[in-house]
Amino acid sequence: MPDIVSRHRPLALLAGAIVFQVLLLAFQIKREHDVPLVRSWANELFTPLERAGTWSFSKVGGVWHSYIALRDTRAENLRLQSEVEKLRIRNRELEGQAAEAQRLASLLSFRESHPEAPMLAAQVIGASADPNSHTLFINRGEKDHVRRNFAVITPDGVVGKIVEVFASTSQVLLINDKESGVGALLADTRTHGVVKGNGDSEPHMDYVGNDEKIQLGATVLTSGEDRIFPKDLPIGTIEAAAPGNPFQSIRVQPAAHLDRLEEVLVLLPPPELAPKKSESSASASAAQSGSSSAKTALPAPGNAAAQKSLKPATHPIAKPPAAKPADTDTPAAQPAPPAPPQ
Amino acid sequence: MAYMLNPGAQSEPNIEVHKFYGGTVLFATFLALVLQAFLHKFGRWAELLDLPLLVTVYFGVSRRNPTTGLFLGGAIGILQDALSHDNPIGLYGIAKTCVGYLASSIGARIDTEHPIARFGLVFFFFHFHQAILAITQRVLLNRPAPFFTLHLFLDSLATAAVAVVIFALLDRLRKPS
Repeated sequence: MPDIVSRHRPLALLAGAIVFQVLLLAFQIKREHDVPLVRSWANELFTPLERAGTWSFSKVGGVWHSYIALRDTRAENLRLQSEVEKLRIRNRELEGQAAEAQRLASLLSFRESHPEAPMLAAQVIGASADPNSHTLFINRGEKDHVRRNFAVITPDGVVGKIVEVFASTSQVLLINDKESGVGALLADTRTHGVVKGNGDSEPHMDYVGNDEKIQLGATVLTSGEDRIFPKDLPIGTIEAAAPGNPFQSIRVQPAAHLDRLEEVLVLLPPPELAPKKSESSASASAAQSGSSSAKTALPAPGNAAAQKSLKPATHPIAKPPAAKPADTDTPAAQPAPPAPPQ
Repeated sequence: MAYMLNPGAQSEPNIEVHKFYGGTVLFATFLALVLQAFLHKFGRWAELLDLPLLVTVYFGVSRRNPTTGLFLGGAIGILQDALSHDNPIGLYGIAKTCVGYLASSIGARIDTEHPIARFGLVFFFFHFHQAILAITQRVLLNRPAPFFTLHLFLDSLATAAVAVVIFALLDRLRKPS
């Protein structure tokens, strides 16, 4: 090598001088992003080597990790699968608890927003075995002071009423059961009617004349005339309306999710009604002897005297009624519907 | 081409190597650089001439030693870069290093005393110098630089014509053989 250099000394010097000056240029010239050219060259020179080294190490490491180090993988895999299953179950439990907490928070919020209204939170524990019967069982009964004909609601709207009371449970008749009927009115026009179940998931609003203009999506509220539900609680919205004989056929979408109820509120009688309790309960017991409802503060629907005594019937949770149009308030413009079946 | 790559091994013993009075090379180089910078003030015509190139070629072909030729060319080029406004150091350095080396190699093989030979030699080295400059600018600096234009051709003719006169003046600074 030294012989070659000495033999071609001028050429080697030329090469050296040019390389030196090229490097000198490379230190001064800036390329993109103000990077000196010499640094760019150094990167281009060393990057392939580094990449090759990284590739080699990754291949060697891959062989190690993919084959040699996998001796205990099967056992670990089984253990991890088992752990995943446990975690999935735990996750479902937590999701359920979170959903329940959310629902309870909603109920609590509703209760707290109506501190003057006595109400009792209850959990739905079962439903009717008969597919044509829309009833539920809740975990509150006689010992919780639940009585027949107490209203059952959710923060979304009316659910139904108590029809049977047992020691620690009660049966709730939903508003879409064919035996059910709720005094109702349309929020915008104050047109009265009765929301009745017919066995379908959606109840109907009856006794609305064909000349009444019904707007789809209009809100249906309780009218309070049934002496069970306080006035102006949301029942649902109008989903379909068609002329019929002699009344319109109106389908109502319930505000409460009747098909997936888990927690409900039982409305207790307002405290101010307590002095009339004995009187009304006596009348009720006369009408329904032997029934547990005799012990309740609510009167039987047919008891006019008791109903009169309850005429204020504005439950503390009821919203103040909207301004009534003058024409719908008069008996001439709006014939009073028949008393809803109880 | 082989003699260009290895002139020392194949130099002709009968070609005379000229000697100069002390300081001549340094003085001529300094003067060429100063004039090159100074003459620019007097108009566009001064840009036709590349006096440092003429000095590089003249002393390269006169000394006929590739090593000193390339170092002289490199030094002149780097100084020329240093005196320029925006050239990175080494741009002219590389070109003149190559010119110095090649001029020394050619001077060791052929007679460069005749004015016509000198005219042709400078004409050739002008374009060789321009080619190296263009390559360097294109490859390293990403600048568009022409290899050949009519303007460069006219420049090369003017520089070669002036070179015949300047070389004759520089001949007077040689030591008598």
